[in-house]
Amino acid sequence: MKNKKTGLVFFPAFDWAISPTHPEREERLLYTRDQIFEEGVLDLPEIEEYAPRLATIHDVARVHFCVPRVQSQVTEAHLIAAGSATLLADAIIQGELKNGFALVRPPGHHAMRVVHGNRGFCNINNEAILVEYLRRHHGIKRIAIVDSDVHHGDGTQDIFYHDPDVLFISFHQDGRTIYPGTGFPNELGGPGAYARTINVPLPPGLGDETFHYVVDNLILPILDDFKPEFIINSAGQDNHFTDPLGSMRFTARGYAEFTRKLNPHLAVLEGGYAIETALPYVNLAILLALAGHDYSYIEEPERPGRMQENPERAAMVKRIVDQLRDIWENRDRVDLDKIFGTGTFYQRRKHIYYDTDYIEEEQLEKVRRCPNCPGYITIDSRADHGYGHPSHVFCVSIPFAACGACQAEAYDVYQQARKSSQYQYIYLQDKSTDTFLAFDRDKGQEWVSEGPGVGE
Amino acid sequence: MYIGIDVGGTCTDAVLLDRGAVRATAKVSTREDLLLTLLEALDEVMKGINGELIERVVFSTTVITNLIAEKKYDPVGLILMPGPGLNPNLYRFPTDTYIIQGAIDYRGREIIPLRLAEVDRVAEELAARGYRKVAVVGKFSCRNHRHEKEVAARLRWNYPNWHIEEGHQVAGQLNFPRRVVSTYLTCATREKYQFFVRSIREAISQRGIKGGVFILKADGGTLPLESSLEVPVETIFSGPAASTLGVQALMPPGESAVVVDIGGTTTDLALILSGQPLLASRGVRVDDMLTHVRALAVKSVPVGGDSVVERVGKDIVIYSERLGAPYCLGGPVPTTTDALRVLGLTRLGDAERAREAMQILGGPLGLSPAEVASQVTGEVIETIVQEIENMFTRWEQEPAYRVWEVLQKKKVRPSTVVGVGGGAAGFISQIAARLGGYPVIPPYAPVANAIGAAVARPTLQVTLRADTEQGFYIIQEEGYQGKITDRSFNEEKALELAKEWLCKRASRYGLEDCMEGLEVTRREVFNMVRDWVTIGRLIDITVQTRRGILYHVGGGGYRYEK
Ligand SMILES: [Zn+2]
Ligand SMILES: [Zn+2]
Repeated sequence: MKNKKTGLVFFPAFDWAISPTHPEREERLLYTRDQIFEEGVLDLPEIEEYAPRLATIHDVARVHFCVPRVQSQVTEAHLIAAGSATLLADAIIQGELKNGFALVRPPGHHAMRVVHGNRGFCNINNEAILVEYLRRHHGIKRIAIVDSDVHHGDGTQDIFYHDPDVLFISFHQDGRTIYPGTGFPNELGGPGAYARTINVPLPPGLGDETFHYVVDNLILPILDDFKPEFIINSAGQDNHFTDPLGSMRFTARGYAEFTRKLNPHLAVLEGGYAIETALPYVNLAILLALAGHDYSYIEEPERPGRMQENPERAAMVKRIVDQLRDIWENRDRVDLDKIFGTGTFYQRRKHIYYDTDYIEEEQLEKVRRCPNCPGYITIDSRADHGYGHPSHVFCVSIPFAACGACQAEAYDVYQQARKSSQYQYIYLQDKSTDTFLAFDRDKGQEWVSEGPGVGE
Repeated sequence: MYIGIDVGGTCTDAVLLDRGAVRATAKVSTREDLLLTLLEALDEVMKGINGELIERVVFSTTVITNLIAEKKYDPVGLILMPGPGLNPNLYRFPTDTYIIQGAIDYRGREIIPLRLAEVDRVAEELAARGYRKVAVVGKFSCRNHRHEKEVAARLRWNYPNWHIEEGHQVAGQLNFPRRVVSTYLTCATREKYQFFVRSIREAISQRGIKGGVFILKADGGTLPLESSLEVPVETIFSGPAASTLGVQALMPPGESAVVVDIGGTTTDLALILSGQPLLASRGVRVDDMLTHVRALAVKSVPVGGDSVVERVGKDIVIYSERLGAPYCLGGPVPTTTDALRVLGLTRLGDAERAREAMQILGGPLGLSPAEVASQVTGEVIETIVQEIENMFTRWEQEPAYRVWEVLQKKKVRPSTVVGVGGGAAGFISQIAARLGGYPVIPPYAPVANAIGAAVARPTLQVTLRADTEQGFYIIQEEGYQGKITDRSFNEEKALELAKEWLCKRASRYGLEDCMEGLEVTRREVFNMVRDWVTIGRLIDITVQTRRGILYHVGGGGYRYEK
């Protein structure tokens, strides 16, 4: 580890925006570029800059059901952002790098398994694409994602909710006070992945002290137990005290300290919209922390002030931390049937709102409760775009570690759904063989995206 | 008629060009005294030519390179204003460094004020330590030079005899540590360089030359001798640029090639892409310090024709140093050239002595001279090919910050491998074969460097940055900050303004005739949006005079077999 470098892909997408005045616009990483270039950090022997790379459509299909097709939901910018993460991961696993920072746009942590449009500035989930890529191409089994964005990483949670091998921890401003309105302590994962999802809602106004209380007393101990082979940080920076969307009071140094403690293999930029007052400093701080350099000289021009944290709110966080620690420690002793019932399927209904594209989606998600594997998932999804007919699709997802029985059953379910007249598109995602199918009922046509197959 | 002179470590090459034809060439040994060397080369190519016929003389000079390498410059103290960011102790500059309060941000706003009392205290300490030269550099001074100017003014007031250099005047690009180094080196070498320029001017006029005298820069551009006083450090490493431009001049226009310049102890590699030499994406490393000095993307590999070969135990090792001529030419020790001689890849020197050299190496190991020779040449070729591959990879892997840059078509590696320099003949076919390309040795290859110097264009550039929200613009190269009063200032107006400044700069340098075919090399416009409303624009524009060469030599019409 000692002599290895920190890899950086800096892809500010200076020619890409959701719309000219949208927070996700060309200007977002401009001042970050200025700061990083002016500091000369790219000349440091411990840091190596890499040219970005595009992810493939297949990499996206391994995670998402894009309606109607992957190509209709992603632009090249999305593929570059996701591909940059997989590029750095390749170099880390091959031993060229000790860790990496995908300082890229557009972000992805609000993108869920089914994608009808853009929500929370995200179309595809960069971290989720990376996780499935790591499993498929590098045989990595246990992965942890720690989401430090002010917004709940609801997309990432959705994708790995039934996945026992992916630990997802998100701390964020309390969902009652901010988009997307989720991420409460009782969202703990499905029956096959109980307590593999951990959410710490934080009352607005809390700063570095509480931030690090959560890190030291909850996140690090859980990671110690879980022993992931690869740690990803969804490095959102909107917890910063100057962020226009969030109301937290974290500092650049607070973020750097967190990065040092977490010691992730890869940090992937998510949100953060104080493009002048926070991003240049937080990004520099994270990069220096990853490279093992001193970040104590980084200071924002504005200071958060010596405001005392509200003791009641801080105490509330401590209670949540205690409660979640307890749940984590007893995760294997808990009676799952009591929580999830005894049926062969566990199902949940979801209402999903796409704030950028004004789409309302209704989902019925079912997971097969299987004693031998995480179980396959089906999703019945109906999206109302506010005009025309709602699109109605059916998705079947076979997990990477599926048992033979679940795989066979899932293919049957897919074939059955193809016969039904209510769905426009029917999808099958077989992660166990890296094969993805999409059936267009109107055209009576099936598309196949095939990977290298099992055993290769 | 044009004269080009390239001063190398061991040899100095010169040519006299008449339109596209080579009229005379010269090769003299580089002596301790640079001026004498230049004059000797000049006199040799000018034999029988009246000085008044010479329209243009271009030198490459090693004066700054040598000053820096030998550290023969006066001590320079540093006063830095890094503000918040990297731990300033990480920056290791080779001199006394004083860090004072004061900081500017990326948009040129003051975030921490200066304390003049602190400036005075630091100056006293510098004075007490005997410094008379001081470089003052602030982080983001290229976005607002106010602090640098205030500190410099204060120092000049208190110490009128000091030589003070300000960072924003030396390097307008982003990268503070490199700005420090560039400013430091400029401060350190300017006085001695002045002396050199003065003696050149004298010598030239003694020879009756009335034409323009230019100095070649590392980026392949030239500057009038007088103007080069402003940027002495930019004259370093111009030798490799000379060779690359020479190949460009000797090739048909618009072609791509790998340039392999094999000299006595080093081989310089460069790329010509669609007729233009590739510039390095970052400034050059000087004496192990990173600078802002723009240069062609040249990679130096420490092997050449005179590289010493020795037997170490059971291994045969090639060293980067030179201990005189090759053995076959009467030198003291076996070299790579002796290996080529044994294999019949060169006709230099005495075949018997070359075989003897290989015998010295291989005898105790039971290897025949031919076996040793192919082992040696194989290793040289392997080293060079590996470095060419690395150079290709670096070029292909240059970071891209825009979608279109990532998507643009895959870069195509050139298939022509052009050999120049004394050692090229023996190696180039095998190098080209290894790369799957075609070998070419152009006519006049041994003096391609001098040809390149002779035909190098003068280059000037102006970089404008406008911040319409704050209502000011900066001309980086001039260290000028002006107000924007025009409420409808936009990209087009910015471009016009940049061109005006370039014109002014050109006329100051007496280069008015270079204004044809200007190139816009950077054009970046960002809307600044706050609370969903556009409040201004950041405009960055770079315009420069045409880069490259004035004309092709020998019609550029050589042919090579496919
Ligand atoms: Zn966010
Ligand atoms: Zn199963």
